[in-house]
Amino acid sequence: MGDIAGKFLTTLITVVIAVAVSGGLWVGANLLFNQVRSSYVRYRALAWGACGFAIGVLLAGNRITVGATSDGGRIASFASWVWLPALAAIAVGIVGAALAIITASNIRLAIGAAGLGGTGIALGLLVDAEWRPSVSIAALIIWTFVIAAVGAGGGRLLGHDPIPGALTGAALGWIIGAWAAPSLGTGSTIWSAIALGVPGALIGVRAARSPIADMAERNRVDKRSRSVVFLGPALLFITAALVIPTIRTIYLSLLDRESTEFVWFSNYVTIFKDPKALDLSMWSSIFTSRLFWIGLVLLVVFVILGLRDKRQTGRMVELGSSGMAPLIGGGVLVAFAVFTVLRGTLINNLWWVLAVTLFSTSLGLAIAVLADGAKFERVAKSVIFMPMAISLVGASVVWRFMYIARDSSKSQTGVMNALWVGLGRLSTGSGLPTIIAGIALAIVLVLLLGAVARALSRNEPARAVMPGAIFILVGWFAWRFWGITGGGIGGFRFNDAGVQLADPINFIQEPPFNNFWLMVVLIWIQTGFAMVILSAAIKAVPTELIEAARVDGASTSQIFWRVTLPQIATTIGVVVTTLIVLVMKVFDIVKVMTNGNFGTEVLANNMYREAFSNFNTGVGAALAALIFVSVLPVMYINIRRMQREG
Amino acid sequence: MTVAMESGGARRSLVDRVYGLLRSIPTWVLWIIVMIWSVPSLSLFLNSWRARDAQRNSGWWTISPSDLTLSNYDYIFRASAASTIGESLLNSMAIAVPATIIPIAIATFAAYAFAWIDFKGRKVLFIATVSLLAIPLQVALIPLLQMYVNGAHYTLPWLDKTITILPDFDLVNTSTAVWLTHTGFALPFAIFLLHNYISSLPKDVFEAARIDGADHFTIFWRLVLPLSVPVLAAFAIFQFLWTWNDFLIANTMAGTNPDARPTTIFIATLAGDFGSNEHLLPAAAFVQAFIPLVVFFSLQRYFVRGLLAGSVKG
Repeated sequence: MGDIAGKFLTTLITVVIAVAVSGGLWVGANLLFNQVRSSYVRYRALAWGACGFAIGVLLAGNRITVGATSDGGRIASFASWVWLPALAAIAVGIVGAALAIITASNIRLAIGAAGLGGTGIALGLLVDAEWRPSVSIAALIIWTFVIAAVGAGGGRLLGHDPIPGALTGAALGWIIGAWAAPSLGTGSTIWSAIALGVPGALIGVRAARSPIADMAERNRVDKRSRSVVFLGPALLFITAALVIPTIRTIYLSLLDRESTEFVWFSNYVTIFKDPKALDLSMWSSIFTSRLFWIGLVLLVVFVILGLRDKRQTGRMVELGSSGMAPLIGGGVLVAFAVFTVLRGTLINNLWWVLAVTLFSTSLGLAIAVLADGAKFERVAKSVIFMPMAISLVGASVVWRFMYIARDSSKSQTGVMNALWVGLGRLSTGSGLPTIIAGIALAIVLVLLLGAVARALSRNEPARAVMPGAIFILVGWFAWRFWGITGGGIGGFRFNDAGVQLADPINFIQEPPFNNFWLMVVLIWIQTGFAMVILSAAIKAVPTELIEAARVDGASTSQIFWRVTLPQIATTIGVVVTTLIVLVMKVFDIVKVMTNGNFGTEVLANNMYREAFSNFNTGVGAALAALIFVSVLPVMYINIRRMQREG
Repeated sequence: MTVAMESGGARRSLVDRVYGLLRSIPTWVLWIIVMIWSVPSLSLFLNSWRARDAQRNSGWWTISPSDLTLSNYDYIFRASAASTIGESLLNSMAIAVPATIIPIAIATFAAYAFAWIDFKGRKVLFIATVSLLAIPLQVALIPLLQMYVNGAHYTLPWLDKTITILPDFDLVNTSTAVWLTHTGFALPFAIFLLHNYISSLPKDVFEAARIDGADHFTIFWRLVLPLSVPVLAAFAIFQFLWTWNDFLIANTMAGTNPDARPTTIFIATLAGDFGSNEHLLPAAAFVQAFIPLVVFFSLQRYFVRGLLAGSVKG
């Protein structure tokens, strides 16, 4: 434990020092710019001094100038590093203060040129032998004039006086021409003094040309410098962590796996041609899929109900009409059938998006409605919401224990398989529990039939749809349970000797539905999110609206479909878009539960595997870019909405 | 006549009673869902107190008081083969604490500037910053990792000279790399959230302070920070849970270094070696979830607020 604590302490101290130094710099910058309005001379002295110090650090720190050494004691070596920056700070600071005091323009020009030029020459004389440039005069002149012209043109374009821009440009061009273009280490002291002295003088002249700031100018400086101080850290981090990496990823996605050669779009072609990413070869087996046919039947039911509604209300489908349930149910079943037949990473991602978004939103909405005003509402909502606090890795572990499948000879320890195998025993057994369960099923069926009959006799077919649908589901279950066909339902099979054995489902490893069992984990987590947001929206629906509808004789379900739901439509949109973006990036669950094996690969895990396990930077970057492009439209909608609200 | 009526009334009341029961179905459905929802966490929690053999041979529902043991917790906190969860908890802290505090500070500065310093191009810059919310973090992972491994260098075109923008600080596989990355990714959202709040503070307060001669620094320090505590708390909780529960960034930036890995990687590694350590997983997962759950139950209101606002994070 000792070395752990020690390591933690070291980390802590590092962080504290880093934070304290950055915080100190930030506060210091603020205190410095406080002087702009209170004491301009002090501000100029300090600001220029800081610039001089920074240049000195740059030169001494990179051992460009002589003298800096790590020999001798700590103090001696520290002094050897710091004397040059300190002298530069003093020299430049004095020039800055002088330019803030003296008003006569000739003297100003002289001080500016001589002060900064002299400092430059002094620094140039101190440049170490291996850094002295061997200047080619042609390059020096060309660079100086080109960049000076650019500076002047820029100033002109912005509507300013072109001369300051030209002077800055000339200084910059001189530095590039003298230091960046030629080879270093072969030149003379004279040249290095000239190479630093001239740009110093140019900058000095540029600063001396502008008059001493009046109050308005000082306010402007204050505002501008404040915006830099306050925004700088954030923009620095964002640029380094987001902007540049994103551009670079897109660039890398056009290179090959070692990022050495341009291959244009061949990484993308590789992704789409890979049968693991998109495998349409089994499309014809959709006609043997039970899901597909049940879905089609439901869609036919929808068409019949819809045509009937159209005669009465003029619309095929509207919120809460009788045709809606079969439409959604049929659509989902057909979509699931398609996703189980067409395989691959891209298809899996689409499946994730559809299933998680649909089930989380609708379950969250259902729970929000059911819990609204119920006893112990807060307790119920807390339990549903709690998975949000758990990490995705933790949630995957939780569900792995739910899905455990053990050999048929042993007792099942996973809840799902214990239930499934237990159901098999119950269904095929002949004891009292089987009889009781059978009778209970019969009673439920009778009640459901009664509800359907009641709704039909009152000529309210819309209210017959839900009980009817449940009747068909429960009826199918009872049919199998009673063993009318198939000899029972649940996890059992018979071996060759005709002995009944447990037959657990290997939820994680049996494709294609293992995908769905992974989605259940995310549904378990995200339903709470949908519920919290939708519940807040439902509570915000004005009670007068609901009262008015009730006075007009609307039923509870009519109030929900025709009043509440349209009122919370925007919020549903928020939930759906949020979930789509989140699901497109799903990674942790797949990584922990299957690592993309058994046909469960998704884009984010594929990207991780390509980039960080297979070290195929090109394809990895292309996959990342693909995720980026696919969430872009949804994020666009989201950000537009946020800006409308904000 | 009366008899017929009475029997009719009795029949109707029976029907009504049955349908009255049916009408209470929603409540039953709600509580059934609640039960189903709590089963996974409950099974994990109960299993964490059962010994290895008990976990392997029977389901958690067979638990009895004599089963209960601390051995799993004991084992994961005591030195095990690779590392202990105690160490990874410290690593998680070393990631989550700086990754919460630093973005809050930086984003509050920026939000204040966007809201109350009237500089040129403010609106464009703000929209550009917020638009970066659209970037999924996968997009930045490869270049960031390369930067932590090699530093950042740029070869000037035409001049053919390579300049070093960032030297190689040997950051890869340290928690510093992880929280630096978190900081960068948190900023657009943090700025957006804090800006919404700070820009809605009453304008006259600022004007009065300006007239009294207060500079931006004083206003920020004395006015804005104290007034923004609720939104700072909401963001802090959201960001803390996000970084504490993160797996992708930690695994990419520090995944191969056992000395720097946070709890999520600890658990994922345990889960990775199928079979051998499976009985430790429930206890480890529960320990990992303990701090988020405490935050969740004690600060639920702030948590919900942060989450509602956080729903747009990229």
